[in-house]
Amino acid sequence: MKAGNRMQYIKVDDLAFHYEDEPVLENICFEVNAGDFAILTGENGAAKSTLLRNILGLLKPTKGSVTLSKKNTEGDKLVVGYIPQQVASFNAGFPSTVLELVSSGRYPRGKWFKKLDKEDKEHVKKSLESVGMWAMRHKKIGELSGGQKQRISIARVFAMDPDLFILDEPTTGMDVDSREEFYKLLQHASEYHDKGILMVTHDHEEIRHYANKHIELIRKEGSPWRCFSMDSCKERSKHPSSFH
Amino acid sequence: MFLYGFMQRAFQASILISLIAPMLGLFLILRRQSLMADTLSHVSLAGVSLGLLLGYDPTWVNILVVVIVAGILEYLRKVYRTYSEISIAILMSGGMATALVLMGLNDSGATVSIQQFLFGSIVTISVQQVWMLLILTVVIIVLYSIFRKPMYTLTFDEETAYTAGLPIQFMSVMFNILTGVTIALIMPIVGALLVSAILILPAAISIRLSKSFNGVIFIGIGVALIGMIMGLMGSYYLGTPPGATITLIYIAIFSLIAVFK
Repeated sequence: MKAGNRMQYIKVDDLAFHYEDEPVLENICFEVNAGDFAILTGENGAAKSTLLRNILGLLKPTKGSVTLSKKNTEGDKLVVGYIPQQVASFNAGFPSTVLELVSSGRYPRGKWFKKLDKEDKEHVKKSLESVGMWAMRHKKIGELSGGQKQRISIARVFAMDPDLFILDEPTTGMDVDSREEFYKLLQHASEYHDKGILMVTHDHEEIRHYANKHIELIRKEGSPWRCFSMDSCKERSKHPSSFH
Repeated sequence: MFLYGFMQRAFQASILISLIAPMLGLFLILRRQSLMADTLSHVSLAGVSLGLLLGYDPTWVNILVVVIVAGILEYLRKVYRTYSEISIAILMSGGMATALVLMGLNDSGATVSIQQFLFGSIVTISVQQVWMLLILTVVIIVLYSIFRKPMYTLTFDEETAYTAGLPIQFMSVMFNILTGVTIALIMPIVGALLVSAILILPAAISIRLSKSFNGVIFIGIGVALIGMIMGLMGSYYLGTPPGATITLIYIAIFSLIAVFK
């Protein structure tokens, strides 16, 4: 693990979020830095996805603030790769081949108005291979199974090669071996390539060896229904492995 | 039949519309805005009536009205996010009602009948209209080739497009405005009742025939050319209304593919 002043990618400061008048998230603070592999857990209905959407700017916090770094460790514009929760978001009727969709991951890398070059195509190939979907590249995305759709969503973000990964339960439906592989890949990305990772997940037991930060959303005693808070909020420990 | 000037212009217009329709139609379908085309064509009836009542060039007044409403539609799409048909229902009937009232107020001359705009008159198209269509076609092709990638990303999923740094709100509004201008120009030619069929059906057919995004556009242009030209010739020989004939041909192609695929 690289020591010292790692760059701060996400800073959540005393965030609260209400749907209408109902408090859903309250006093939440944490940070995710370059090189962090952070997992976000909490029981069902703990508004984990809502928290991610606040961080991404898709929702506005009712109170407090979220700061996303503008730059990456190299001083270039920070590129964020977001994988939403699968079932809800995958546009299955969309007329596109697997290759077209995964290639579109390269567009935010300065390729909105430029042709993809050799390096882009290499990235796309590698990322399709890493999820075992290279052979399926000419298939129409609507014909894929649920698990395959999930894999190409992951490949699309891998192709993007973002500085910060924000992943909402990306391993749902994967078998144990694939999950292990996936975690290893993410761990490698954070450790060796200084990527920041924030991942919502349920299987925090098996991920223990890979992640180095654990953020858990819990409900405070005696507080109203659906009010959750971060237990580590007060402590603010800089300790990387603060598992509970 | 090609010896008649009006038929030549009708064919030129048909070819231009065939080039435009699949590009706009595909995005309209994927953005779940198929009915927006219908709404805007009803609104554009009101635009034309307003122009005639005020004594200005109906084409320009119409473009202005439709562009404003296209902007309002984007706003309503936000407000009624889960029931987006509401905005369509309101504006569609509102547009039609406004058109009828404005035409009722207009007693200056009996020359304009609502019938002409409802059902279109591809065979009475003017040279000026062909020119305007040509300019519009060039603009749309240029915009499509420049913004193909951002539009692909936006239509696949707005939220990931936003996180990838695209100005999604701005793009949505610009797309609606472009759709509005197109409809304002095409409506007098094919008729308010059939504008959306002519924009949507070629893409709806080609989505089923192609695996890739670009393929849908190219096949869509082919489908549109077949439908428009066969429809125009059919209407010439059978004496049927052109817009309706074209639409029926599209629906026939659609059914054939539905049966065999």
